[in-house]
Amino acid sequence: MRTVPVPSTELTVGRQGHYAGAVSRLVAFAADVGASWGVYAVGVLLVNAALKLVTGHSYSFGQDKILSFVTLAVWDFVYFAYQWAVSGKTLGMAILGLQVVTREGGSISVRQAAIRTIALGICLLTLGIAFLGIVFQRERRALNDFMAGTAVVYDWDARAARLRWMARNQGPLRRGAEKKTPAS
Amino acid sequence: MTPNPIGSKVEQLAQALAERIVPLIVDAIDIDALLDKVDVEKIIERVDVEKIIDRVDVEKIIDRVDVEKIIDRVDVQKIIDRVDINAIVDEIDIDKLVEQTELGSIIARSTTGVLTEVLDVIRAQGVGLDDFILRWGNRLIGRGKRIAKWPDGPPLLVERSVVAS
Repeated sequence: MRTVPVPSTELTVGRQGHYAGAVSRLVAFAADVGASWGVYAVGVLLVNAALKLVTGHSYSFGQDKILSFVTLAVWDFVYFAYQWAVSGKTLGMAILGLQVVTREGGSISVRQAAIRTIALGICLLTLGIAFLGIVFQRERRALNDFMAGTAVVYDWDARAARLRWMARNQGPLRRGAEKKTPAS
Repeated sequence: MTPNPIGSKVEQLAQALAERIVPLIVDAIDIDALLDKVDVEKIIERVDVEKIIDRVDVEKIIDRVDVEKIIDRVDVQKIIDRVDINAIVDEIDIDKLVEQTELGSIIARSTTGVLTEVLDVIRAQGVGLDDFILRWGNRLIGRGKRIAKWPDGPPLLVERSVVAS
């Protein structure tokens, strides 16, 4: 970790509030899918265990495909819409330092969060075509962004990150390594 | 010894003459023209400043100055009010400061955890890859240079960052 060079200012400081790109958003979405499905799986296990404890019969929640699908869809809606409505970011987006804002850059409303979540489901049905706007549209907005009137921006404290980076490279271990280099 | 009466009369006459003539001469002289003719630079060159400084007993001057009295007269609050701290802070190159001092290590020790370090790496790499995909994606469809004119971010956020910087 200490040998990772300090990234250029171009990639860190000054990016706050800029439109986020495809890779960051895709990774954030993957993290969100993993997190929401992970929580869902744990929830299903707990419900199954509780049902067995109460009724004495073993019941697998996943047996009913339609019920499972509807439950998962509702859960995913709650997962995304709630987090977007509360803070403008999901868990995955927080990890990647992204935030959903209005087209002008303000906080999104509950209605926008709900529309964006439903639109996200519609976009997924297009097998990725609806997300091409993230690369080819001037405001890097996907179809669900257009439908909800939102955009996604970088929101991580890049300046602090840069300082940490420089500090790490300035630490005693790094210095020791630099001193050893000429002799070797 | 009796005073010479002729001598005293001549003296009085000379005094009276001087009183009359001197103002006439002074009025007749064009001081400005005279000053124009004076080469001040040449005079300054002739003056041995070092010699003058050597003669000055600075210690003696300092001893005479009541510094406490001067400090008491200074309104420090007024000076602080006049100083634009924000302008001074803006002048400071934080990156350079961190590079040249132990400040960076202190920040690192107080704020960095393993998770923070991992997040910093992931985020910076993500931004780099975002740029790469955006650049090459648009280059492939023949509008590589046009993306330079695209807005960096939503108006409210970009204007705020410009003001902050």
